Amino acid sequence: MDLPARLTCEEVFERLDDYLDRELTADQMRLVREHLETCAVCASEHRFEASVITGVREKLSRIAVPEGLRARISALLAKETGQDGSA
Amino acid sequence: MRQDGTAVDLPAFGALLESAVDGAFSIALRYTRNRSDAEDLVQEAALLACRGFHSFTPGSNFRGWFYRILTNCFYSNYRRERTRGIEVELEDAPELYLYEETAALGLHHRTNDPASLLIEKLTGEQVEAAIGALPDEHRVVATLYFLEDFSYQEIAEVVGVPVGTVRSRLHRARHMLQKALWAIAKEKGVVSELTGITDQGV
Repeated sequence: MDLPARLTCEEVFERLDDYLDRELTADQMRLVREHLETCAVCASEHRFEASVITGVREKLSRIAVPEGLRARISALLAKETGQDGSA
Repeated sequence: MRQDGTAVDLPAFGALLESAVDGAFSIALRYTRNRSDAEDLVQEAALLACRGFHSFTPGSNFRGWFYRILTNCFYSNYRRERTRGIEVELEDAPELYLYEETAALGLHHRTNDPASLLIEKLTGEQVEAAIGALPDEHRVVATLYFLEDFSYQEIAEVVGVPVGTVRSRLHRARHMLQKALWAIAKEKGVVSELTGITDQGV
């Protein structure tokens, strides 16, 4: 598919989520990036959405596996495979 | 012992499982929204993975393979009707929801990064509650996206749906998440606090 020389604001808006997720082709990424460099409104929307994603990621932490869960899994698997001495 | 009579290489399986169990529990907790169910889910997935270990290709991505078993197990046995904790309808969330709300509040004139200003005032528990308010199918893709930073392709492989389905669910999930975040920010007084900031200047 032929790509246009530049994208309109509407075309950038349609691609914004995929652009944020780096899920566009290299050419599409370049076209969106070039638009964002020259359009203050779209750039503002892009900065905002990127900041929301970053902010949410920073608030979500890995949660430690509860004490005892590893041991329970090990015992379960040993029993399942007959490697717990009961076979 | 497997059905074909050969023994599972438990040390090898255990070593691979160890590399995935922390991430699996974090994911399970967001899927189930309940510590007890999350523990049960990880245990059940571990058992199923052990039974199916013969189908795992050595050298391929064990974490993705195990997360797929975990996700299937969640869909089969752990989906629960549960109150969402917030009283707003999320299905109709439009694009740029937080952008528009924070702009209406005047935050965009006060700071270069209004999104951070808002989210930094929310606690981790409040952000967790917003994710927990998403419908199952959207919460699953959002969890894999935000926690694991998986690509659409990786999420598609874990969930077992086409990439296009992941794309639409994830985009929708982000819109709904923004509406949920705003509802919680209003309920917890964060919006009022920000209104005070905009009145006084940052």
